[in-house]
Amino acid sequence: MRGRILSAAVGVLTLVAAHPAAAQAPEPYRIGMTAAITGPFSAGYAPTYEAYRTYFKRVNEAGGINGHPVVITYEDDRGEPQRAAAAAKKLTDGALLLINASISPTYKPVMTEAEASKTPLLFGGGVCPREAFPPAAPLIFCTTSFGSKWDSRMALGFIKEQSGTKKVRVGFAAQDIPLSRIELEFAEQHARELGMDTIPVVVVPGAASDFTPFAQNLKDAGADWVFSWAPWGVEIGVFEALHRIGWKGNYILYGHQPAQDELTRLRAPNLHALTGNAMFIESLLIHAEITKLVQGQTNHPAHYMAEGWTSAMVLEAGLRKCGWPCTREKLAQALSSVSVDTRGLRGGPIEMTADNHYRRATYYKVYRWDAGKNAIVSVGGWSKLDIK
Amino acid sequence: MAALGGGYFKTSYEADLALVDTRLRRVALGALVVALLVLPRFASGFVLDLVSQAAFAAIGALALNVLTGLAGQISLGHAGFLAAGAFTTAALVERGLVSPLVTLPATALVGGVLGLVVGMPSLRLKGLYLALGTLAMHHVVLYAAGEMQARAGGNTGFTIPPPRLGGLVFRGTVAWYYALVVLAALVLFLVVNLQRSRAGRAWMAIRDRDVAAASVGIDVARYKLSAFVWSSVVTALAGALFAYHRGFVSVEAFGFFVAVEYIAMIIIGGLGSALGAVLGAAFVTLLPYVIDALVAGVSPDAAQYYVFPAKFGAFGLLMALFLLFEPLGLVGIWRRVRNWFALWPFRHRPLRASS
Amino acid sequence: MAQALATTLVVASLYALLGAGYVLVYRASRVLNLAQGDLLTLGGYFLFATAATFPGAPVLALPLAAALSALTGVLVYVALMRPMAGHPVFAAVLVTVTLGILLRAAIVLVFTDRTRHPLQNLGLSNPPRPLAGGAVVSTFDLVMVGAAVAFFAALFVFLKVSPLGIRMRAAGERALLASQRGINFHGVFALSWALSAFAGGLAGMIYSSNVRLEPSLGILGLRAFAVALVGGLDSLGGVVPAALLVAAVEVASVRWGNPLLSDVSPFLCLLVMLLVRPWGLFGTKEELERV
Repeated sequence: MRGRILSAAVGVLTLVAAHPAAAQAPEPYRIGMTAAITGPFSAGYAPTYEAYRTYFKRVNEAGGINGHPVVITYEDDRGEPQRAAAAAKKLTDGALLLINASISPTYKPVMTEAEASKTPLLFGGGVCPREAFPPAAPLIFCTTSFGSKWDSRMALGFIKEQSGTKKVRVGFAAQDIPLSRIELEFAEQHARELGMDTIPVVVVPGAASDFTPFAQNLKDAGADWVFSWAPWGVEIGVFEALHRIGWKGNYILYGHQPAQDELTRLRAPNLHALTGNAMFIESLLIHAEITKLVQGQTNHPAHYMAEGWTSAMVLEAGLRKCGWPCTREKLAQALSSVSVDTRGLRGGPIEMTADNHYRRATYYKVYRWDAGKNAIVSVGGWSKLDIK
Repeated sequence: MAALGGGYFKTSYEADLALVDTRLRRVALGALVVALLVLPRFASGFVLDLVSQAAFAAIGALALNVLTGLAGQISLGHAGFLAAGAFTTAALVERGLVSPLVTLPATALVGGVLGLVVGMPSLRLKGLYLALGTLAMHHVVLYAAGEMQARAGGNTGFTIPPPRLGGLVFRGTVAWYYALVVLAALVLFLVVNLQRSRAGRAWMAIRDRDVAAASVGIDVARYKLSAFVWSSVVTALAGALFAYHRGFVSVEAFGFFVAVEYIAMIIIGGLGSALGAVLGAAFVTLLPYVIDALVAGVSPDAAQYYVFPAKFGAFGLLMALFLLFEPLGLVGIWRRVRNWFALWPFRHRPLRASS
Repeated sequence: MAQALATTLVVASLYALLGAGYVLVYRASRVLNLAQGDLLTLGGYFLFATAATFPGAPVLALPLAAALSALTGVLVYVALMRPMAGHPVFAAVLVTVTLGILLRAAIVLVFTDRTRHPLQNLGLSNPPRPLAGGAVVSTFDLVMVGAAVAFFAALFVFLKVSPLGIRMRAAGERALLASQRGINFHGVFALSWALSAFAGGLAGMIYSSNVRLEPSLGILGLRAFAVALVGGLDSLGGVVPAALLVAAVEVASVRWGNPLLSDVSPFLCLLVMLLVRPWGLFGTKEELERV
């Protein structure tokens, strides 16, 4: 009796094992992401988390890449370096690649950890570190639309163009984090090279409750133009403070995710947003696609998703090129020769080379509020900057 | 060491003074030690890391317990002492003095001096005012640490290499597990002995009624300051451990919330009790992971947005519940449970028994 | 110079409203409500919620948000502070800390970390207003100053003249005697908490309309408690000069000193005061034993 049950069990098991549907589920591509999903800086980085989630959900539903799903483990670092360090340690265990979508103070510990474990590191939402520019470090990649030096060159070029022959005095508003300070000090020097009059950089603590005294310093120094390059909170905080104390000059900042909403809310014709991502007001096909796909799936509106979506596109291209089985070295190599058509999200394609992990050329557009048209308009078209 | 009216009679001074007096306690302690020693063989890295974190928290909690639970000096600046220890280590590492044999004594010295400075107001202030003074000190210490980080650490933080002692390198989960558990046990032993020593009794007298303590001949000033110094030295050393363990030091890891966590540990554990500090430390350390598991179980997909506020809120809720309903903390609960078993079928202790 | 004065007045008004909240609660429960900053944040979020529910109707949204803030104060007293009566002061202060944690967690759970702007939904605007001497402030800066002045004036009249106010002062001074005289001090303390939460919520509503609304605004409360201490924890009259003093130090340190020091300057004022005169400028000299 026992023998019969046993053989029946073995028979059933063999059938089940032989059944094609019971075959092993395909091994996934394992990726780790540490992002500022919650916390004071989440507006700029949580959308990257949401975009990746929605993007790769769609990819996996369509059968994955090379027949394998992509599994991304997310860690919330709240923009704190300590948490990012712990997250990086946890994520590099078994991951092909690490993504960082958080503020620049988190870079040092994450880069140290990635280097120690030889994991490729992709910056997908935060400012591009200079390790991604030529000559690029072998494991550092960056898809973010803004990067040091290039943004300042473009912004100051724009100011010069807008002011024509008039000699203008330019002020600079930085946050007290190294990348912002260093960038604006470079910008100040570059502005002087372009023949503009400059004011020393005003440094604002990120947690300041009142930006008025800092705005006051800029106004008193007689700034005609102010350029700010920092996380969104400081950029817009200084502008609003300047506006409140009745300053009438022109302001240019880097347009992070909230830029579209804030331009609409403030309706200030003197606020210019320099950005590498086309704003959703342009209603391109890709914009409509993204809007439809993220419907009901994300906390942030669709027009916050551009940055993360582009980054996900690049990662997908890299994984496709890597094939299966993929290792860290192979993935790094694949990303070093990737070429992605952004379908209008950026001004042109993203092409990386072995030496250049940023892109061969970067594109910018400037937007501002037009009171006459009662809408956001772009000032001119795409401007191209070759990355050498 | 309560006499429960049972058959445990001491027949010699040594037996009376022994820390672990009954055979059951000796066996239990032995089993615990063996379990902790062989845990790495059976448990995953994640579990070991959890125990290491709880051990580390226990060190800080025990130090705070000596100051607030034993000596009755309310301190909201605990995170400041941790930061002082971590940043002293970071500063020395920056200058190339990497060895723990140099950094740890230096950290202890800095911690002691800071404890003296922070303890000075305690000679004039009590209760709420002292708490606020320590809170203000905390902000000043953090400001100084922030300035140091801005100048030397590139404003993002300091990287600390793994510590070397002779030929031994402390790297990896297992090595740190043993190091932290041994150190926590050491601090626990020190604290339990302190409680029974002259200093401990002086502290408890000051906590209960410092005017009466002065009238009995206790040098209140000296003991108040020594409580601050002892506590801050141990906490600073814990900060140094933190720096070595995490490998990275950055000022935002020492915000006011950290001080609140440590206070929660000793309150939830039970104020004034060494066992309480350890239990509270374990409880507060494990709580976020329990919440993680719960949130992931309920809604695995949209988890990330709600995980952090859920952990935060659960922590606040539990702390409020303990403050409102169980002022004696986990130790109080433990004692009630233990007494229930020890006294069964009786409900109450005989009148003769002490505490 | 005129601008520095104007900014000082605005900052001082915010600190004064928060400081009044601390003092009112201290007189009632003999506790420092470390969650006052989070009550400010909560007030801002109430306004955001009511403005979103009744867009374009500030006449409805503003009083409703203020009423909700006051109601929160009553709830806090009944649920948290009344049960803590008789417990050591340390425990009561910790309960307020946990209240702050709970409020923040609730706000983030409901509203997420995104920065909000209630003014958008209210249909009001915040244009700059030039003043004498070349100073320029925003409309809501003026509203903040006006609100602080109005609040203190109303409070002064209420406490000095109205019977309920007199009872409140009595209960604040000697609760035991007051209860023996038949004053319902639970009701009076609940009213103190309601007024304190109202002051905090009012400050929050104006600040969030003026600047921005985000969950981390509670930090403003921590700086304002220095004001309460400098003025004297049980002195309402002391709040105004203390607020002006601390605000002046802060603004001066940004304009003429090291701007990054401005964050820590209220705590430095607090430390100095604690070492020199712990009971504040106008507070009752409490028994402080010297060793």
